[in-house]
Amino acid sequence: MTDIILKGRTIVEGQCKAEALVSKKTISFLGGVDPADGRITEKSQDLCGKCIKDKIFCFPHGHGSTVGSYVLYALAKKNLAPKAIINRTADPVVVVGAIIANIPMIDQIDIEEIKTGDLVEVDAAKGEVKILKRGAH
Amino acid sequence: MYLTKEEEGTYDGEKGWANQICMRILAKLGDLFNASKLIPISSAHVSGVSYKTLGDAPIEFLQALADEGAKAKVKTTLNPQSLDPEYLTKKLDRNLCQKQLHILKQFERMNITQSLTCTPYYLKKPTPDSHVAWAESSAVVYANSVLGAWTNREGGPSALAASVIGKTPNYGIHRAENRQPQVLVNVNKRLLNETEFGALGIYLGKILADKVPAIQNLEDASKKDLKQLGAALASTGMVNMFHGKELKLEKGLQKIEVEAGDIKKTIEDLSTTSSEPDLIFIGCPHCSLSEIKQIARLMEGKKVRSGKEFWVCTSQYVKDRAKEYVKEIERSGGHVLAGVCTIVSWTEKLGIRTIMTNSAKTAYYAPTLNKAETILAPLKECITCATKG
Repeated sequence: MTDIILKGRTIVEGQCKAEALVSKKTISFLGGVDPADGRITEKSQDLCGKCIKDKIFCFPHGHGSTVGSYVLYALAKKNLAPKAIINRTADPVVVVGAIIANIPMIDQIDIEEIKTGDLVEVDAAKGEVKILKRGAH
Repeated sequence: MYLTKEEEGTYDGEKGWANQICMRILAKLGDLFNASKLIPISSAHVSGVSYKTLGDAPIEFLQALADEGAKAKVKTTLNPQSLDPEYLTKKLDRNLCQKQLHILKQFERMNITQSLTCTPYYLKKPTPDSHVAWAESSAVVYANSVLGAWTNREGGPSALAASVIGKTPNYGIHRAENRQPQVLVNVNKRLLNETEFGALGIYLGKILADKVPAIQNLEDASKKDLKQLGAALASTGMVNMFHGKELKLEKGLQKIEVEAGDIKKTIEDLSTTSSEPDLIFIGCPHCSLSEIKQIARLMEGKKVRSGKEFWVCTSQYVKDRAKEYVKEIERSGGHVLAGVCTIVSWTEKLGIRTIMTNSAKTAYYAPTLNKAETILAPLKECITCATKG
């Protein structure tokens, strides 16, 4: 396939290549992700039970307490953080979390173009998300 | 967003990691919300203190900041913690108390005042028209609406970053055009007590979203009533200020009418039970000296009923200045707890299942944060329920 390239806005610079994990719903990192193992625990989340470690984590935006920023830092310290964060509209909680945890982040991306399982390359400095290979789904 | 040469140096790491990460937070938030530059602040107020709500996740970050030499550049106060140093410390698990102390220690290392209060303005009022960076939504609304200071609703991390840099990005309510009233609110009922003012806040927060209201007929409201109104408004809405004084309004402003029935129904909805409370709680937001005096007067010659807890929450600063009234309240069997907030404390571990309060904000949050049933009623009714004699 020809690579699909999506263009967005740089929030935190960085490059990586990994499998995408895509949610249709917003997420609260405080209370919604277990800082001990990186699993999503928020019952209303469509990815409840899934682990965000080493994924290109795509979701519309965050919600909930600003303590959520610290959860992203704690995950990164334990090597449980996503490789990159892709949002439709960045919100302060996730932005601050990505900065302090140094996770590459882009927003203003049409995340519906990306499917869970896709192999994705992110160049956050350029604000680019490249879909290299569609996953099996 | 424009950064000066010095700010850019800090952004690039010239002043070390701690200052760099704080500058990056401010610069990115500024970009996100279309700020044009950073502006100096006269104070910061940091939330995210209670170990109950924080858990372990932030400890490492706070410790790393303190290790790398982060220091508050402006006067910085701290929100309440999960317990007080006297009464609750004795009742709770030692491990919880130690974790909480460890968090406080990190803030102390950054020269942040251990004010432990959601009403930092009782310690020191910001000058009218000065820019500040406060977290704690109830204090944000009070600062903007009653004290005339200018602050966005910061989160814990952004208030901390602003404290270390001494500046904040000039977006949102730091701009005069965003402080203009967008909705005119007419309340067709005389509000009789602080609980009714709180109920008005809960009701309006839900329908205003982020539109700044001008609320008519607030001229005679006391500061404690406005404190309840603002705290409740911030609980259900995103709005960070209200106008209560007569001001010249643009024509054609959207109008909202609030009826007596709306206030009544809001209070009824915030009361989830009619059974007897285990805890009667006053002090959300934290009590002022005059509120503690009023409580002491009402408690005179009375005794708290057995099987009930009666808590009054305030800052250590105010408690130290209210010694005579504290004595009266404690003689009656009540407890004046310093530096703690009931909704971020471990009430469920103490067997508290039903909380009666005069605070609409507490009644709104307690079912989820404290897993408690609630009864919302004005101060005098709370004291009648709590005491005999």
